[in-house]
Amino acid sequence: MKTTPQERAQLIEEVVSAHRASDPRGALRPSPAFADLDEEGRREAFERTLEARAIEAALDPEGLSTTARLLLRRLRAGG
Amino acid sequence: MTETLDLDVHLAAIAAGDATAFGRWLAGAEPVVRRSLRSFAARVDVEAVVQETLLRAWQVAPRVEPDGRPNGLLRLALRAGRNLAIDESRRAGAREVQLQGGEGEASVSSLEEGSPSLPDPLLRRVIAICWEKLPPQPQIALRARLDAAGAEPDATSAARCGMRLNTFLQNVARARKHLLACLDSQGVPIDVGLSPGGAP
Repeated sequence: MKTTPQERAQLIEEVVSAHRASDPRGALRPSPAFADLDEEGRREAFERTLEARAIEAALDPEGLSTTARLLLRRLRAGG
Repeated sequence: MTETLDLDVHLAAIAAGDATAFGRWLAGAEPVVRRSLRSFAARVDVEAVVQETLLRAWQVAPRVEPDGRPNGLLRLALRAGRNLAIDESRRAGAREVQLQGGEGEASVSSLEEGSPSLPDPLLRRVIAICWEKLPPQPQIALRARLDAAGAEPDATSAARCGMRLNTFLQNVARARKHLLACLDSQGVPIDVGLSPGGAP
């Protein structure tokens, strides 16, 4: 699928988010935006995610990224 | 030479079900696990693999036996993450899954490339200053994403900010670029680990 630079940037930013839907068995699904990116876009999303998580952790009083916060929320909720 | 930070200091508490201790472990372990999966980035959604891997670390922690070396739980997580990524690659239909050495070797190599570290106090001080310099809309969008912490889709956070989804995403990306540029200008760049062999 051919995407414009703006659409590509949006897809990358969607992949950077820590939000992932889960299937009925509770397994996490890949971001739908991931499937719409080519390999180069996926690698770029990975690098942007590294930056994003480092920034999040630096801004967090306990040094936790949004991924870590999400996991702790799940654990404390018992799921 | 920097002394290796041993995240297993939290292991006993984690094994006893202490989620706060697991949070301390996550703060050091997550970046190492994520970086170790760089070679899979073009084939699998690494974020989903990282989350599954870290949840498995929590689940197996009560069964981890110390072997006299540091970071036993992290080494186990690195191995689990790699196996998950290989499974996901195969599921996604990738015909070639390039393995660079055995699983154990890869885990040790990943630890050598990016040992866990504590948050840098200087970075935390400077990024707080940089945060205040963010333009309003990017700051609002990034604040919303931080507060959501992955618990809701970006569309929901965007609506809460009164932004369209694409505007919200542009603002989050702008905020990140501003922060990185500000940190760089202050001589405190964010270290996310080198891409082996340069840019892919």
